[in-house]
Amino acid sequence: MVDFLAQYSIQRWLEMCPQGYLEDTVYGREAGESEPDEILENDEIREAAIRTTVQLVVGERCALAASSGLINAAPDHGSKTFLATQTLDEARHVEIFTRRLHDLGVAKDDLESTITEHANPNLIKFAEVLLEKVDAGDFVAGVVGQNIVLEGMAFSVFEMLEAVSRQENPKFAHTLTGTIADERRHVGFGENRIGSLITQYQERRPDIERLQLEMTYHMLATFADSFRGDAAAVDEGRSDDAGPVEWHGTDLASATPEELEGVLADTVLSEFKTRLGRIGLEYQSPPVPA
Amino acid sequence: MADDFEPHSLDQDAFLSEVHSFEFWFQAVEGYLSDRPYGHREDMPDDPDSITNRDGLVTILCNYCVGEMAALEASSGMVRLAPNNHSRIFMATQVADEARHLEVFEHRLVDLGVDDPEVEVARRANPQIVEFKRRLLALVDDGDWEAAVFAQNVLLETMEYTVFRHHAKTADPVTAETLEGVISDERRHLGFGENDVGRRLAQDRSGNARLLDVRRDLDPLVLGVFDAVFDDLSVPSVERPRLGREYLDAVERLGLTA
Repeated sequence: MVDFLAQYSIQRWLEMCPQGYLEDTVYGREAGESEPDEILENDEIREAAIRTTVQLVVGERCALAASSGLINAAPDHGSKTFLATQTLDEARHVEIFTRRLHDLGVAKDDLESTITEHANPNLIKFAEVLLEKVDAGDFVAGVVGQNIVLEGMAFSVFEMLEAVSRQENPKFAHTLTGTIADERRHVGFGENRIGSLITQYQERRPDIERLQLEMTYHMLATFADSFRGDAAAVDEGRSDDAGPVEWHGTDLASATPEELEGVLADTVLSEFKTRLGRIGLEYQSPPVPA
Repeated sequence: MADDFEPHSLDQDAFLSEVHSFEFWFQAVEGYLSDRPYGHREDMPDDPDSITNRDGLVTILCNYCVGEMAALEASSGMVRLAPNNHSRIFMATQVADEARHLEVFEHRLVDLGVDDPEVEVARRANPQIVEFKRRLLALVDDGDWEAAVFAQNVLLETMEYTVFRHHAKTADPVTAETLEGVISDERRHLGFGENDVGRRLAQDRSGNARLLDVRRDLDPLVLGVFDAVFDDLSVPSVERPRLGREYLDAVERLGLTA
């Protein structure tokens, strides 16, 4: 374990992240990049972009609270160190997505009311389920909830948004590229660190599997709300002139909202099953959200 | 950030958002952490065997580790207590800074021949810094943002800033360069603390009495730590009042005169 945790030192993080893939970026993107006119000049699409970005801010605020809150519950020095780097990664994500809200026209004084207005209630419940474990100082459940479930979801959502934005909105796509690299590291830590703890504390399995089931339920309900209730959001970043955008076997440029929801849910759940299996947990399938 | 960017031209809210941002942190640390793995240049000559009072240096670094662990655990707990977005982001940058300090000091302990820094830190920890840590974390656990910022970002950071600056002047080159990077961070943390507490007190002086109580509670521990570290650093007794005064002056700048 000592060698594995050495890969998550502050020094390694400095070399990989601030001095690596974030070098020469400004708020996670290239200097001078801006949101495309097609979004800024179309109120319906701009509002949809705001709604989508609010969900990202809500998710990242939850991850910031969870990663910082787990530091004191961590059983070893190496895990505390890693979580310190994750805390700063999550703070950066909060900052860059908040910045995007301002770029989309949300005034500074309207930030909190905009977030409150648009935050998906299911996503808030998803966060509450996780933060309850963090508040209780439950390190094992907290890391599974955060670094496997939350980060696993964020990873696929960001990948999908990056794919759909790559041609029409390079600024947002570049912003997402760095966050995807961060999330990959966070998920890697979760898998590597928690496997041994699950083996050590077998009696915790039912409780942790219940956490995964609850979080998955709220995640799927959030996806359903986002795609079925918000047709404009689906059009964000899509253009009649753009070619096909292949992602996990689906053309994101022409897919219906139902198809988009389906490919995202299938991708996230497939990743969950693989990652939970690696740490010795069995994926729990939630009831289909109404 | 543009080269000619001048944060002082911004209004207060925009200024605070700017200087407490990840971007600002990112630009700041790039200047003094690039090409300095574990806080110092790799090609710096280092001969631990030639260090005078090497055992004393090990004890000092062990106590620095206790202080840094206190700050790591406190600042991580304070992320959720932060009253606004920019304070939350700043506190997250501080979490990473404190974890880095702990890492570079432990790395230096290994250079000096310590097999297991965690065990050595526990063995050599000064009881007064350990007690300071316990009381600081109690403030965080109570959810008391104002008192926790005062105890951590003013009292603890001023203590470390004073000691580290003095130590860097007399330390071996590798330890000195490592300390220089840490001092740059501490200056930023202290600036946040003075600004946050100062603005709150300027708006509402009723907090004075409460923070004075925190100060009365923690001052004896801070001064006790000073004495212990200055013994280990062999600081002549004539110099000690001046260093203690530096700490007291920084605290009293906030109007919190005991």
